[in-house]
Amino acid sequence: MIHAVRLPWLLGGALAFGAAASLAACSGHIGDPPGEGTEEAPAFQCVGTIPGKSPIRRMTRFEYNNTVRDLLGDDTQPASSFVPEEEAMGFDNQATALGVTQILAEQYMVAAEQIAARAVSDLGALLPCDPATAGEQACATTFIQSFGRRAYRRPLTDDEVARLQDVFSWGRGEEGFSSGIELVLQVMLQSPHFLYRVEFGMPDPVEADVVPLSPHEIASRLSYMLWGSMPDEALFAAAEEGRLGTKDEVASEARRMLEDPRAREAVANFNAQWLGLSHLDNIKKDSSTYPKFYEGIRPLWRAETLAFLEDVIFEGEGDIGSVFTANYSMLNAELASFYGVEGGPATQSFERVELDSTKSSGILTHASVLAATGKPNQTSPVHRGKFVRERLLCQILPPPPNNAAFNAPDIRPDATTRERFAEHSENPACAGCHVKMDPVGFGFEHYDGIGLYRDTDQGLPIDDSGELVDTRGIDGPFEGVVELGQRLAQSEEARQCVATQWFRFAYGRVEGEDDRCSMSEIQKAFEASGFNVKELLVSLTQTDAFRYRRAVVTQAP
Amino acid sequence: MKQRTLSRRTLLRGLGGVAVGLPFLGAMADSARATAFPKRFVVFFTGLGTVRPAWIPTGTETDFTFGPILAPLEPFKKKTLVLEGVDYESAYHGPGDPHQQGIGHALTGTELQEGSLFPYACNPGKMVGWAGGISLDQFLADKLGQTTRFPSLEFGVQVQYANVSARISYRGPGQPVPPEDDPYQAYTRIFSDLGTDPEALARLRAQRKTVLDAVTGDYNRLSTRLGASDRMKVDAHLEAVREIEKRLDAPGVIGGSCNPPVLGAPVEPLENDNYPEIAKTQLDLLAMSLICDLTRVASIQWTTVQTGKVFSWLGQDEPHHTLSHSSDSDTKRQQALIDIGHWHAQQLAYLCQKLDSVPEGDGTVLDNTVILWCSDIAQGNTHARRDVPLLVLGGAGGALRTGRHLKYAGAYHNDLLIAISHAMGVPVTTFGNPLYCNGPLSGLLV
Repeated sequence: MIHAVRLPWLLGGALAFGAAASLAACSGHIGDPPGEGTEEAPAFQCVGTIPGKSPIRRMTRFEYNNTVRDLLGDDTQPASSFVPEEEAMGFDNQATALGVTQILAEQYMVAAEQIAARAVSDLGALLPCDPATAGEQACATTFIQSFGRRAYRRPLTDDEVARLQDVFSWGRGEEGFSSGIELVLQVMLQSPHFLYRVEFGMPDPVEADVVPLSPHEIASRLSYMLWGSMPDEALFAAAEEGRLGTKDEVASEARRMLEDPRAREAVANFNAQWLGLSHLDNIKKDSSTYPKFYEGIRPLWRAETLAFLEDVIFEGEGDIGSVFTANYSMLNAELASFYGVEGGPATQSFERVELDSTKSSGILTHASVLAATGKPNQTSPVHRGKFVRERLLCQILPPPPNNAAFNAPDIRPDATTRERFAEHSENPACAGCHVKMDPVGFGFEHYDGIGLYRDTDQGLPIDDSGELVDTRGIDGPFEGVVELGQRLAQSEEARQCVATQWFRFAYGRVEGEDDRCSMSEIQKAFEASGFNVKELLVSLTQTDAFRYRRAVVTQAP
Repeated sequence: MKQRTLSRRTLLRGLGGVAVGLPFLGAMADSARATAFPKRFVVFFTGLGTVRPAWIPTGTETDFTFGPILAPLEPFKKKTLVLEGVDYESAYHGPGDPHQQGIGHALTGTELQEGSLFPYACNPGKMVGWAGGISLDQFLADKLGQTTRFPSLEFGVQVQYANVSARISYRGPGQPVPPEDDPYQAYTRIFSDLGTDPEALARLRAQRKTVLDAVTGDYNRLSTRLGASDRMKVDAHLEAVREIEKRLDAPGVIGGSCNPPVLGAPVEPLENDNYPEIAKTQLDLLAMSLICDLTRVASIQWTTVQTGKVFSWLGQDEPHHTLSHSSDSDTKRQQALIDIGHWHAQQLAYLCQKLDSVPEGDGTVLDNTVILWCSDIAQGNTHARRDVPLLVLGGAGGALRTGRHLKYAGAYHNDLLIAISHAMGVPVTTFGNPLYCNGPLSGLLV
């Protein structure tokens, strides 16, 4: 099939460029291809198979913990104390940003030693055979083959088996059978074939230098994208029986996997990073300004947003619009008391709670988002506006000019936040950019710096009228956050932003020129599904970017 | 005196005992190392520049008075070099915004990589990668750290973010070295093996050698099958594994002045208000790692640039980054910035005092050390990378002419990096991009 496309994400950049002429270059969409960005691209044809880049991907801490759990039943989360991943484009799993230094290599070593020691403490559960009857060497070989297939997520070569047998023999000679198995485990857990997703594709190209991924490689792509973990037996079986070769077969596995609880964890991992919820661990709040604030509430804020998104995506309509408009949330007794919700849940488990539809609007009225973007002792229209622009619309905003004083104006008893921030629109040096943020942020003013609804600000009435400018299709004034939520729910730009963010997270890289056709397919499928997030995930498994790669070209060392 | 190696048992007995000021591990050192006291290099990085009028000393080159920021360093004035008028000239070239350039160039002296990883200010369509070269600390670690247990140690105090604005150290172009933010993890890594009984330790080392041999083989074989960029990544991992293996037999000794610090109850490493407590522990660990000769190169990075850290223990309620953007005439906020600088100087003084309290030869450990205090920019409301605040402390074993306030007129900071390398006994002719190198910065070396 041949069709010319001009991608909306490129079109958006071009439109934004036009609109930005009066905005002092305060523009740019994350969807713009990196580099020059804002020039309109020539029409592009989707011909043949175009896979995009496939950089080798190292496990993140999240993936390591899950994999060790699924591989060995070890739920100690050993990777939680590893050095944090380098973050790029808002995510911690971007392949080009993840390297290994000596400190991390040591952490892998120590973790492997500890995991292996725990695993061999119950040899009976670990081994597929009894060394007393099968013979120690033979049983070790069987273990290396069967466990190795799961650890490396593919069958081992004879050469690999032989080398691991040598390690076993050395350990057995020193301290006996169990020690031999323990050292084999240590090697496997530090091997690149465990820590990285090593991909070479199939030997024969489908065209030019494009090769299909091997069934096992597809299985790993599926499991790490949808579960943040290794394949299960059903997926291994699908790979080994040749049932991952077509789009439909891959989609069918993806749908099965989305029903597994592990998919919820992986989606929560994306959601937390997408919305910047990790900042909640570090923010400061002034309890004299906010008496209802206490340290213990912060993890609950995060939990609310993740539970809500899980409910929308896995239990509810599943469409992204609800994320911005829902007039319910997931609360427990402690959170209900914090928000002052009458008749809320009586226990500490999270339940669906209907909320006042004039005061609630999905994640936009969650304390997590409102507190993370607020100051210690006041709200921040700037950061709330910035949140909407960057996270929800995928726009990139430049920081203030180098000489800008960007202390929030001091709190005064006689002025509302809106009045105190007036300089941003009056001073032409600030207005160019702040016109994109502050008028969006003012719409949130009925919510204080920890996300609680308020009728007044410094005893003065609140004006929560706002305005959107330089968006694709939702420009114009609005009254309050509920209307803002409705506007976002209808925004093509916001929907495409979600798909773009998922592309980056799912593939561990930023979209490039070669990804236009894959991205276009994803966007179309998302639209066709009524912007259903689960369907978006399925569509991410259907692209050339997912199923193919460029053949590896090695160079002489 | 006859050289001999103290037994592990003798050393371990020292653990519970009183720390005695010993000359540098004399009895324990092997003959090669006993010939001279080691030199050490420490980076002390604080972000967001300074308040110049409160930083610059008054007086003459040799008879000067510290301003309010550096006042806590008074006891070490004779061991200090305050540098004025040195520019991060290289940081006016290549991609990146001022903070990214400032932190990425400070120790590398070369342009950041073009890349698609990090958006940068002022040009939202543009992206930048990592730093484009090896940092001075890692360069020196390669030269000086080959016999110690760790070639270098990187400590962080709530650095927490992981991007180009949060990294000072690089193994090479595009290879950032993350610091360890958690003192408990750092402690375990540095000191835990030293407490193991000798037989168990020998066994552990033999096992590790077997395992790491096999792992190294895996990375080697894989590397040859990969394309260029994947291979670079896997090779960096391979090098890290080789380093571990190489150092399995490196000496680890406890006794005399070398005692693992005693940690208090664990604290949440990223909680804003725990900052001072974490800082003290990290400084204790850093100092003891040097005193025990577990490493000769170390860095401590105080959070990151553009930090949202609130110095609440100084009575402040605005983030440091926000304060740094205030105008020169905003006296209240400028005072807050001076207080932050003063607090950092107190921390540096604490480190110096620890190193200075351990005699070594005719002097102290501090006298055989070079500490470089640097930042990303000159001050937050200009983001200039010229006339940046730079301070060198310690004697480099007599190689530096300390106790002076030196004024330059736009010297390149690459030349400072070169001079430090000379002082450390590695006389390079250039460091970083040779375009910004004229040779060792004049006036520093004896």
